Amino acid sequence: MKRVAALAICGLVAGAAVALAAPGPRYRIGFANLTDDPGTKIEATGFTGDLVRESFVLAVRELPVDLVLYDNHGDPHRAIANAETAVRDHVDLFIEYNDDPSANASVAAIMTKAGIPVLAINYPVPGAPLYTADDGEAGRIAGEALAESAVRDWDGHPLLGLIVGDWQRGAARLDARAAGVRAGLTRRLKTLRIVKIAPADLGRVASGNPGAKLLVATMSDPLALAAKQTLEAAGRAGDAVIVGQGLDPSIHGGQSDRREIDPNNRGSIVFGSVAFYLDRYGYEVLPLALAVLRGERVPARTATRHVLVTASTVWREYPPTDLQ
Amino acid sequence: MRLVRIAATLALVLALAAPAFAQGDAACKNFVAPSPFGPTDQTGATNRVTPAVTKAAAAEIQEGKAIPMSFILKDGVPLFGTRFSKTVLTAHSLAPGGAFGENQVTYMEDTWLSQSHVGTHLDGMGHIGIRDCYYNQTQMGKFITQNYITKLGLENLKSFATRGVLVDIVRYYQSQNKLRSNAACTKPCLDKGTVISAADIQGALKMTNTTLREGDIVIIHTGWGNLFEQFPKQNAVFSSGEPGPGKEAARWLADQKVVAVGADTWGVEVLPNEDPKEAFPVHPILLTNNGIHIIENVRTDLMADEVARTGRATFFFYMSVPRAYGLTGNFVGIDGIR
Repeated sequence: MKRVAALAICGLVAGAAVALAAPGPRYRIGFANLTDDPGTKIEATGFTGDLVRESFVLAVRELPVDLVLYDNHGDPHRAIANAETAVRDHVDLFIEYNDDPSANASVAAIMTKAGIPVLAINYPVPGAPLYTADDGEAGRIAGEALAESAVRDWDGHPLLGLIVGDWQRGAARLDARAAGVRAGLTRRLKTLRIVKIAPADLGRVASGNPGAKLLVATMSDPLALAAKQTLEAAGRAGDAVIVGQGLDPSIHGGQSDRREIDPNNRGSIVFGSVAFYLDRYGYEVLPLALAVLRGERVPARTATRHVLVTASTVWREYPPTDLQ
Repeated sequence: MRLVRIAATLALVLALAAPAFAQGDAACKNFVAPSPFGPTDQTGATNRVTPAVTKAAAAEIQEGKAIPMSFILKDGVPLFGTRFSKTVLTAHSLAPGGAFGENQVTYMEDTWLSQSHVGTHLDGMGHIGIRDCYYNQTQMGKFITQNYITKLGLENLKSFATRGVLVDIVRYYQSQNKLRSNAACTKPCLDKGTVISAADIQGALKMTNTTLREGDIVIIHTGWGNLFEQFPKQNAVFSSGEPGPGKEAARWLADQKVVAVGADTWGVEVLPNEDPKEAFPVHPILLTNNGIHIIENVRTDLMADEVARTGRATFFFYMSVPRAYGLTGNFVGIDGIR
């Protein structure tokens, strides 16, 4: 049976290789990024928009696609102007990454009029397939990981769940993430007390609950690193575990650039982060775009496959490719 | 009767041993291809450097001109990951009273504390595997000691005295009007992440009317080595990625039955590579599955200038590799002789 499956996979791979090798149509795809600014963090994670852009540039290398890049600058007016430019640029398909619903409705109207199909990233564009992060699922994964850790290491101890977020930033996303964390924690720890707090309150809450082991879910990786420092300063690092969200470059690195989640740092209280792969959006979205252009059926919603990444799995998920 | 019993036993032993011998370590059959040089081979593609190949390569020496193709190994050059290379000079003989004899002979020597894959260096068969499966389906875990490998070490190498072929991808990209350089390069270079295809290599070869032949060593000039030359100023850029052949080009090179593939980059292959979920995929294609050596950080600019000036891309490849026992690779010196 395994052999049959392996042969089937080989067949699929061979088919894909043939498809790649065969001369076919070449497409012109426009991608309007939320922002290209390397200083602006997006989606309440530690990722920046330039990494999303770079992922498209890298992913397109082996595809029959000429990529036309636009920068929405986080500005709805710019997003509409970019859509109009893309029509003039005669793109075959337009990928819109813009967080303003009203502007997205305008973009949909512009593209419909021009007969250009659209793919949306993270924020719906009317009538367009959506590729999106699944914040609730990411939160659930973090919550379950924290709960499993507690069951394994702290069975019988008093426990306190802490969800730490900068709640003003990306409120809807963070609420979904937090709800997911709560669901994940309580699946195994049904009576766990869970408190949603701001980063500034972590030290006080940790000190105020001296008998409790702390299960800390932070809404991003920078917050996970900050939480670790806060708990160390409060003398509570030995009573806490932390899981972040994002797996952005602030928390994992390469061969030289040792960071918190690293095979050589397996004892960290930041034992994992849930990967959002914003730096691989190009690899996920461009194949969907090609499927649309080939007239294939594309799901209305495709979600990121979030996974918990730890020191043991980080180089499998993110093989080091640089010396940094 | 006794003879019959011995013969039967012998037949049984042979029957049991032969398939295992022919197929390499069974646990590695699913991960690594068998060697094209036979089930016991530990040498790899230097098997292709036959006397006839070396003799033919000698015809490349027309002027007797030796062109350096290795970088000087010195403090501050970029090193992969946590690698280090340090020397400690022993010069006590120069201290007063340290000289020997009436003729006052003095001496100095060095202690070289270094990892082997530093500077311009050769990757041996013991360098890269899939899981613990290495070249020729060798289950490497059985052959590791604290100090060295007991199989596939550099002592198994044959000669590299063969024809070298410089493939100038920079010039080819310029001719195709598709060179996208990096601002940190002071001479034209391909930018990191640029996937060099088999067609690119073939196009560059065509520019010098060169046809690869079995036993050649292919050296790819991407211009990225210019950043190495600027050490330590551009170490961060140099290390952040590189242009290089992708998997398709690597398979094509393997099909040409070359001995080694080198480049003026730290990993020879394109980085970031085509699939972000894979690590260094060209390495196992060349080394692990085909026994083809990889030579990293080759200095290519001088030879590229020579090739551009003369239109001839071939040279006698002169490289010495210390045959220290059980090494996975080593720092090398290379000259291209024309």
